[in-house]
Order: sequence, then structure tokens, then C-alpha cells
Amino acid sequence: MVCAASAQTDAIPSDMTLRSDVTEVRMTFSTTDQNGRVMATVLPSDFAIVDGDMVVRDFRSFARSAYTRLEVAVLVDASESITAQLRQELANVVQLIGETSGVPDESFSVVSFRDLKPAVVCESNCRALNTSAQFPVIPSGGLTPLYDSVVFAARKLGYDNDPHVRRILILFSDGADTISLKSFTDAMNSALDNDVAIYSVDVSRQPHSSPGTLVLRSFSVNTGGRYFPVEAGTTKLIDAVLEDFHAAYTVAYKLPSHADGFHLVRILPTHDLSLQFHCRRGYYYPSSPEN
Amino acid sequence: MKHALLFIALLCMLSVSLAAENRSLQEGTIVRMRMADCEGLRHSFMASMSGGQMPAESCAEYVLVTDKVVYVIVGKSSDQLVPLAETTRFHFQNSEVVIRVDDARHESHFHVKAMVLRPEWERSQQLEEAEAVALMAAHRLQGAALTGTQR
Repeated sequence: MVCAASAQTDAIPSDMTLRSDVTEVRMTFSTTDQNGRVMATVLPSDFAIVDGDMVVRDFRSFARSAYTRLEVAVLVDASESITAQLRQELANVVQLIGETSGVPDESFSVVSFRDLKPAVVCESNCRALNTSAQFPVIPSGGLTPLYDSVVFAARKLGYDNDPHVRRILILFSDGADTISLKSFTDAMNSALDNDVAIYSVDVSRQPHSSPGTLVLRSFSVNTGGRYFPVEAGTTKLIDAVLEDFHAAYTVAYKLPSHADGFHLVRILPTHDLSLQFHCRRGYYYPSSPEN
Repeated sequence: MKHALLFIALLCMLSVSLAAENRSLQEGTIVRMRMADCEGLRHSFMASMSGGQMPAESCAEYVLVTDKVVYVIVGKSSDQLVPLAETTRFHFQNSEVVIRVDDARHESHFHVKAMVLRPEWERSQQLEEAEAVALMAAHRLQGAALTGTQR
């Protein structure tokens, strides 16, 4: 999201390094109104950016995002009991994504996790996925490597670093982790580094009182995705993914501070306080080493 | 006739009061915003009532720059936000900054945490920027030195 920081080419002697300062920050965001409906049209005068604590109103550019396609990974927590409802919602998601024109076969994968590590259920051929066979209804589960799996899926999505691709991770989970080597921060940073928006589907039985709900909400809010309880239904989830894809804008502005580390970014309204702007929660300057 | 005179008198009073209100309205620009501890007194009271176990609530803190003075103002609750328009209109009431939130058609009250004359604030900003530039240059030199050592 921040422009390239340094470059080196074959034509240049190997002992010479070209350096250029990062001077521009780019943020892609979508906007919803007080009823949670996506705003199709947004003006630069509708918002200001708070980068660190600096308020930025002068933008170098503002335009509809140049996304041309979606790269989608569905990450399923198979360690908890797989209920019939969860399996049905999963089947719906696979079917709905399969019917979406902006997602080529090679850009759609399903990953599950339980016990020690995540496993790819399908890639390139997920439209033919038989969820009943792959995710049988089971009464009890095993260990839950949630954070490791988020890191795995984020890196997988970020492998193709085409800037015109919006990377989406749809996460079916209760937010609990029992065995990961990676931490919550590692998982979050990996999603941010790979420019992955996490859309969480909370499968907790009591989402309002579950600590895992906070984890899922945090993943979604900080990466520019959304959070849904499983009861909301997957149609709503897919609608949100597609609306955010079609109604996204990209704004570029001068880097306001060269302070090292994580720059927290918020997009806030300039006049209508009911507007909500969904974007990733910040960036690393100069850049963060991958976890 | 009596009614007409009364009506004219009312009109005059209304225009005078509106003019007074407009005169007292000031304009400024919010240039910084961060989340900080909510206003000290209320927080310490709540904390003492709850045995000091209450987590600190975060409130928005803004730097509001006017022609002559720069104010640091803090909200009273975590959901008290101000639209970040280019121009913020406000007035003072009981030592508080009252900001008009036009779209929401209400006013929001903020405590004044600090205030400083604008030239003084600008000098401190220039110093901060100079320090940042010097720090960046030092980092670059350090990086270049490390690259040289590795070769």
C-alpha cells in the first residue's frame, strides 16, 4: 500500500544500490451509511484521514479503486464441532463465490484447520467442492491453530502481488486459538503485510460473551473487512464482499511523518458522523519484515 | 399599531441576539487527533468509586488551530467525535469549547486541556520537524555505515 521504497535492476552495477524515499501512502476503503448500506459515491470532501495523529485533508489523488478481480480464500475452523448449520453456510459461500464472475477458478481456495496445522482443501477447483464429504458433521473437535492458519492463508493470498487484486479471507471460526506458534499480532501483521481483508463469520454459540468474538471483530476491523455472526447468513456476507469490491475508492496522500514503526490510520467523516469508512488500520514504515 | 411595534421590537431583539452569537463564534482547523485518557477529574472520581479497577476510557483529543491561539481540547466520552471539516466553528461556554456539529444539529462540549499562542506553537512544530529530519538523516547514515561494513 505504500509505494516502492527501493529498487535495483540488472542494468545497474551490482555494487550500486538505488534508493528512493517512500513519500506516498495509498489507502483503499469502502463506506457505509448509518444503516450499514454501502455508499456507491463518495467525495474527497466527505472524509479526512488521521495518520498517526496528523489530520490529512490534502490528497494527491482520489479515484475508484483499480481492482479488477477478487482473490478469495475461505478458512474454516474444523476443530470445533461442525454443525449442520455451519456446513450449510459453508456450502452457500462456496456456491455464491462460484457464481461470482469476478473470481476466476485459480483465485478461489478453501483451507481448513484443526490439530496442528492448516490444510488446503481445494484450490483452482473449489467450485466442485463437496462440503458434505469434506466437512462431515462431527460432534467434537481437536486443537485449534487459528493464528498459524491466518498467517498461512494470508501468505497464500499475498503470493500474487498484483496491485489490482483485492485479497479476501473469509474466516469461519469462533475466534479461539489453542496451539498456534504464531501470535494474534503475527496473524494481524501478516494480513496487513499481504493486504488481506478478513471477513469473519463468528460460529460461537454465544457470540456476545465470547472472547473469541473480540478476536474476530479485531481481525475484521483492522484489516478493512467485516464481522458477521453466523446467524446473519452468508448471503449478507457475500453481498458485503462484492459491494466493498465494487464501491471501493483509493486515496493517496503525502506521508505525513517518517517515524519508524506502525502508522495507525483512520478515515473519519468531515460532516456526516453517521458515515463509516472501512479500511485497513494502518501500515508499517518503512516496511515490516514478514513474520 | 401596538402589535406592529411589538413585532418590530421582537425582530430587533432577535437580530441583535443572532449578531451577538455570530460575533462570539470562532473558526479554527483541527490539525491533529488522537485517543487519550478521558478528562482527569471524572476519570479519577469513577476510578475511586470503582476501587481503581476501572479501565481507562479513551476520549478523542484534538489540536484546534485558530488565528492567534492553538487549543488542545478533550471530549468527555469515548463516542464524542467532531467532524474533521476544513473549518470548525466553535464558541466558549463556562471555560469549555463548544463545537457545532452541523449535520448532527447539535453542539459538543470539550474541555480545554492546554492552550498556547500560535507563534509559539509554530516554533515548537518547526523544532519537532527539524528533530525528525535529523533523526532520519542519522538513520540513513547508520544504514550506509552498516552497508559499507558488510561489503
